[in-house]
Amino acid sequence: MTATNTARDPANAMITVPTPPDFTEFWARTLDSLPDPIPTLAHLPSLSTDTVAVFDLRYTSYQDVEVAAWYAVPRAEGRVFPGLVTIPGYISEPDVPRRWAELGYATISVAPRGKLRSNAVVNPGYPGLLTHHIVDHHTYGYRGFYADVIRALDVLAARPEVDAQRIGVQGSSQGGGLGIISAALRPDLVRCFAAGAPYLCGIWEATKLTHSYPYEEITEYLRAHPGHAEAIQRSVAYYDGMNFAPLVRCPSYVYLGLADDVCPPETGFAVFRALGGDKVLDTYEGCAHHAGLHWVRAKFEAFLARHLNPEAVA
Amino acid sequence: MTEFDAYWQAVDAELAEVPASPVLTPVPARSTVDFTAYDVRLTSIGPYRIFGYLSVPTGGGPFPAVLETPRYGSVNQPPHYRDRLRYLTFTVMHRGQRLADEPFQAAYPGLATLGIEDPLSFVYRGIVADCLRGAEFLLNRPEADPARVAVTGDDLALLTAARRPRFTAVRSSGPPEVEPEIADHLRLHPDQAERIRHTRSFFDPDRHAGSITANVLRVGRDHQLTHRDAVDDAALDSWLAGQLGVAPMSKFDLVPR
Repeated sequence: MTATNTARDPANAMITVPTPPDFTEFWARTLDSLPDPIPTLAHLPSLSTDTVAVFDLRYTSYQDVEVAAWYAVPRAEGRVFPGLVTIPGYISEPDVPRRWAELGYATISVAPRGKLRSNAVVNPGYPGLLTHHIVDHHTYGYRGFYADVIRALDVLAARPEVDAQRIGVQGSSQGGGLGIISAALRPDLVRCFAAGAPYLCGIWEATKLTHSYPYEEITEYLRAHPGHAEAIQRSVAYYDGMNFAPLVRCPSYVYLGLADDVCPPETGFAVFRALGGDKVLDTYEGCAHHAGLHWVRAKFEAFLARHLNPEAVA
Repeated sequence: MTEFDAYWQAVDAELAEVPASPVLTPVPARSTVDFTAYDVRLTSIGPYRIFGYLSVPTGGGPFPAVLETPRYGSVNQPPHYRDRLRYLTFTVMHRGQRLADEPFQAAYPGLATLGIEDPLSFVYRGIVADCLRGAEFLLNRPEADPARVAVTGDDLALLTAARRPRFTAVRSSGPPEVEPEIADHLRLHPDQAERIRHTRSFFDPDRHAGSITANVLRVGRDHQLTHRDAVDDAALDSWLAGQLGVAPMSKFDLVPR
């Protein structure tokens, strides 16, 4: 059944997510279990330009799954660059991050497991990732997916041409949610992040606020398995950005569309309130999941530049 | 007959030789009291088995219907809940996209230039055929009101409306964002510039425009985006709803209970 609700007050809505008692230990165990990433790089002349070299990057992640990424580096001999990890949205494939490299960042654009270039072993499909083994937090599909993003940070930090003290994260939607989670799980590496319309925050509550995908996947799952509601609620709490946000210590820039049907702004406001560290929020009236992208791109680029100090290579 | 007409008539002829052999599988998880969902498999040229999401409103019908042609990208979501409340909907996954990726898995970037050096080898020849197969499937559904059938999507919606002129309305979001891929390909193969221009000319929606009998809304031409995407969505939804005789409906205000 559905209803229309024109009386929403996203900025003041109360969203709470229970924190599992072993939340910290669960993620510590997960990260401790990661194998040596053993990264390999292959230069891709077809995607490279006069100013940017692009590589196919592969590394090993949680449960020995091989993860693919694009790695784009400014062509500037002898220089050390700030690093950036960009994370794709739920249904998107990662962009080749040449523009970020032109701005001066050594950039990894990661394809976590399940994305096209990393789905040889783990392939929950789309739709499907959000509910893949969702009833058990130990086996939930996002466990490895989150770890894949964390490993991208580790691989980037180990690159000789990267200044490990100047690494940022950028993404919108799933990329925004993973920005928060990355900053929480690798506080020693992430110096700042820009997160648009963060997904995976207030997960359970979001299913009550929207009929849009991906959260609709959980609603559909519950139609088939109504008895699993409590297990799902318990499980997703381990993965909810709301529980990572208080662990964040670095500066963050968050932007929201006030009419976002995909990631309800109620959840965006809630996770912003929970964030530790210096933080800035911009909201955009009349905007949905693009969250003001037409205007906000220049702002998050300036935010990242202010904290990471890149030197463009146009 | 022009080369352009011959090319497309050959696609139609090839498609006509291939039985669609539809298989509909009910999906209870995606069904409600208001609509019933099915996964659909159809055969397109190749032969190639493609996929689609079908949703049929509850009730007697006939219903206004919407064909969603696929976006440029690996994944198409099922049709939105608000559309399933109002329309008979069918969303096509073309060859190479998720759920239609056996045996061919499209690459992104890469799909936009696959076989582009020759119109006969260009992957979009098959992709357009997949959309036409989807159009035929929806247009022939007994639940569809033949006077109220629309097609939406990017340029593929325009080509589909041109080649299957039984649609009432067509709404296009504009061309897919593939120019960077084309530019990369040309940088690597500058000698192919003329051949690529020739291939792309077969898929230029302006060359198909004369065959479109439906009412048309093209973003960027008939409608300028405000870039407030909820506002833009409301305007585009309202236009289509008006064309098909149903009430506009906001995604944001539609909440579960």
